[in-house]
Amino acid sequence: MKTQAVAEPESGDKWEVQLRKGCLELAILAALWGGKLYGLEILRRLESDSALIVSEGTVYPLLSRLKALELLQSEWVESESGHPRKYYVLTAAGKQRALEMAATWGRFSGSMMRLLAPLGMGKR
Amino acid sequence: MTDSRATEAYLKRLRTGLLGVDDGEVREILEELRSHILEKAADGDVGAVLAAMGSPEELAGRYLTDSLLARASGSRSPLRLLRSLFRWASLSLAGFFVLLGSVLGYFTGGVCILVALCKPFHPNNAGLWTYRDAAGDLGISVRLGYGNAPGVGLDLLGWWIVPVGLVVGCGLVMLTTHCALWCVSRYRKSRALPGS
Repeated sequence: MKTQAVAEPESGDKWEVQLRKGCLELAILAALWGGKLYGLEILRRLESDSALIVSEGTVYPLLSRLKALELLQSEWVESESGHPRKYYVLTAAGKQRALEMAATWGRFSGSMMRLLAPLGMGKR
Repeated sequence: MTDSRATEAYLKRLRTGLLGVDDGEVREILEELRSHILEKAADGDVGAVLAAMGSPEELAGRYLTDSLLARASGSRSPLRLLRSLFRWASLSLAGFFVLLGSVLGYFTGGVCILVALCKPFHPNNAGLWTYRDAAGDLGISVRLGYGNAPGVGLDLLGWWIVPVGLVVGCGLVMLTTHCALWCVSRYRKSRALPGS
């Protein structure tokens, strides 16, 4: 199913947009759990492994913010294409934050699924 | 306009929008976005790639606000917090009012602490005094450092100004920091992540 981009409040359900926005930080930390990625790879990972289709204008400032919070660190690596790429990797604090957010997410989604069971959602 | 010129024109406008950000940070942002544009445009049209990123001014605003508010949230130092609030104030009215309240809170807290610290050295000139003004109305004056105590004034706290001033002053500084960080946190939550 094709999903809406993260930030199109006027064209989509505002609640769904806010929900997706709230997940984006966790999604980025989770995408980096497997190892270092650069910006475009993160965008593609989010697009392929989750329903989050995010614009560049959203992800790059967020990466910068996560780095300022010392949840990520970065390094420049020369690429075969001739221009350097800025790779991001989780710091120890970033890994801790990802684990905490994932645990919260698990508890929250589990309780929501129980609540939604009468609607037929919990059986899926 | 060629692809290269369009890219550089975009990045130039972005650089202008990032005025006030550290040079090193600006260079990193521009280099990262240049790399992104080049790689993505290899599969398509530069114009479409630039359009997907939004206007340079809008993008600069996201970097500025996100970056400085993140720093403010991670700081407990009043000076670092005020520096971030100054930049926030230059970007939004909300930031201006938070800065105004914070300056007032820190100033009042600082005065209380200074009065407490000055009292042992200048017992007749530092303190919390009440006096009647020329019209006969009761007023309260906080005297700090050198100065003549009001002739008909009453030193309300005496030596108690030392512990009271320190406690109230430190409390005000902590309360101001807490309130400013709360405002920053609320603002960040209210705007969540920028749209595209």
